[in-house]
Amino acid sequence: MDGNEDLGSGPSEGAVDPSGVSGLKICVNTQTPLIWFTHEIGPLDDGTKVTDLSQLKEGDDYNYSSGGVTRMVLPLLKRMLSDGTVSEAHWVSLNPSAPETIKADGITHHFVSLEKGRLANYGKVKEIMWKAAHGTTTDAITAEEIFMSDDFPDFSYYDRLTAEAINRLDKETDFDLFYLHDFQQLQIGHMLNTLKPKMYRWHIPFDYSTFPEKWRETFITYFNSYDMMIVSSSKYLESLKEFGYSGIIKKLYPYVDPSDYSVPKPEETSALCERLGITNGDEVILVVARMDPMKGQDHAISAFASIFGKYPSLKLVLVGNGSFSSSKRGVGLSKGEKWRADLETQVQKLGLEGRVIFAGHLSQQELDSMYERCLFTMLPSVKEGFGLVVVESWLHRKACLITDRAGITEIIKDGENGMLFNPDDAAGMAEKLARMVEDRGLRKLMAEKGSESARLCTIDEGLKAETKIIKELVGG
Amino acid sequence: MDVLQVLVPIAYSAIIIVATWIMARFLIIIIRRLMGQSTQMLGAQIQRLVWLIVWLVGIILAIEEVGVNPTILLLIVGLLGVAVIVAIRGPLENFGARYFTFGYVPFKVGDNITVQGHSGKVIEINSISTILLSHDHVVSIPNSTLMKETVVNTTHQAWKAVSVPIVVNSEIDVPAFESEVLKSMNKLRYHFDDRFPPILSLVSRNRQSTELVLNLMIRNPEKRDAIINEVNKRIEEITANAKKTRKQSQQKQ
Repeated sequence: MDGNEDLGSGPSEGAVDPSGVSGLKICVNTQTPLIWFTHEIGPLDDGTKVTDLSQLKEGDDYNYSSGGVTRMVLPLLKRMLSDGTVSEAHWVSLNPSAPETIKADGITHHFVSLEKGRLANYGKVKEIMWKAAHGTTTDAITAEEIFMSDDFPDFSYYDRLTAEAINRLDKETDFDLFYLHDFQQLQIGHMLNTLKPKMYRWHIPFDYSTFPEKWRETFITYFNSYDMMIVSSSKYLESLKEFGYSGIIKKLYPYVDPSDYSVPKPEETSALCERLGITNGDEVILVVARMDPMKGQDHAISAFASIFGKYPSLKLVLVGNGSFSSSKRGVGLSKGEKWRADLETQVQKLGLEGRVIFAGHLSQQELDSMYERCLFTMLPSVKEGFGLVVVESWLHRKACLITDRAGITEIIKDGENGMLFNPDDAAGMAEKLARMVEDRGLRKLMAEKGSESARLCTIDEGLKAETKIIKELVGG
Repeated sequence: MDVLQVLVPIAYSAIIIVATWIMARFLIIIIRRLMGQSTQMLGAQIQRLVWLIVWLVGIILAIEEVGVNPTILLLIVGLLGVAVIVAIRGPLENFGARYFTFGYVPFKVGDNITVQGHSGKVIEINSISTILLSHDHVVSIPNSTLMKETVVNTTHQAWKAVSVPIVVNSEIDVPAFESEVLKSMNKLRYHFDDRFPPILSLVSRNRQSTELVLNLMIRNPEKRDAIINEVNKRIEEITANAKKTRKQSQQKQ
């Protein structure tokens, strides 16, 4: 038996089974930090260093990351700490403007910092690799040669710096398990000087046929430094197997904690709508995605432009700003701002001012308000590792129009729990958009079926599967 | 008794010890420079041997200077040496061969080799023998055999693989060192198979030193030695620069 297993294909009932694993010391590593600081965190008024997040104020001093990875990992660690599976959790991430260490939610966060020059080169390499891994690169030669480019040593520098930080922590803590996320961290498994179990979660799509041919041997070397790899769909699992990874592969759907989502008070929703220029009679189509060409907001705007004349009360609301990579306090790439400017130009050209609303970053409560306020949601990505936004829509009992290039399509029955479209087929997309606007019954049915499907992607399911995986690796 | 008669030999003896220390340091520096063109592990072993011989001669001369006849000491050391060599001749042969195989026998742990009719995957190379996993059997090949017999490395593209061992001071900033090594290797990129970029791995670390290995895949096997020499030269320069930077930052502190 090769140990490869599907862990995310069926609903489960009842409470979580801790499977006899307890008291583990775990080290999680992601590129994106859970917490973004809004300014340099200096000493407190009494001169002491900030050691706990409770000493700071959310919104003024820091914000939680809104990305899918952190949205998944935080509830997992919180639940594992509360049920005793984990006794000590450390989370290492990149955060150039953060204090070295801070405690939050029972987790000790360690931040790795990079000087500006290296950070810029790291960002360049990361972007090229990210595009090539998604099969959307426009410069195939640069992607092919990336590992021997002059910028790559700075990419490696970040990975090695992180690995050294983890090695040092391991010396002090003696971890039982290392759980690494994000494709940018791939090399780190090879750099960790340990025989202890290493798990790696690949969050973006995995289709090796889109990878540059010259990447193969390097990727195999790095993949094989992990004992187990986790991907988000059966298609990715098969592709990874064919690619030649020799360890154990698990498929596990990403998950969210439903208790993080609530129905805000009507006055809160009204206040937000007023701020964004949404009036009572408006019908809202909601797109929640960071500002990135891969997220396909341009396709959504084009499709909207084809139908907006027929529906005068229809508005398209785009929620999200740049990711950690495009933020000035993060990696500092400018793609988020640039993409928003491109979209604004597109909106102007199509005469959609006032009908397409750029909401920017919203707090969780504001996001809940928008989900509640909208008619339905739309995931227009050109390529999408999974698509947790669909699950969030379902949790708010909203139907979703979904790109057929997302990992989540594996659990979508077209026309039942969601409606699929090809983002390259503008006419087909507009036609489906109009159908969703007009057919209230269909939206209701898809929302109901969707909320049942959402159970596959909740923390209860995730916790059960992750505990099983961990047990397989560490015993217990 | 004249005090001078006692103090002068002691002073001479002390001078010999100091001269021995200087000589040992001097020879080690020379060997380090010369061995920069070869593998670092082999260089470290030769340095150790030369250090031992210089100190042995120095101590004997110093003892003789204070009036003690070193003949008996020499005899004891000599007899002990002969007895040890006779008793552990086999393991010594293997032990010595280990250091030559490290640098010059073209295989590493993980490769598939055939030697003396035994084929298998190399799972361990220790001081005495090289262990092969052959089907479900563990085969131990004495290292001295590897020096005498024909070894065939059947690993896919094994002829391309070059492993350069690197030993650096434990205080070195590994991320910065790696970054410099990779940048430097980029200058030689034409000689590498571009499907296998150079990979630096950390092998072990103790209080004194950090052992790393740089794995390369070369395009042209005839240039293997030239590439190894160039790579070692570049690594030595990076190590020297890192040492200089470390000293400067220590002085600043």
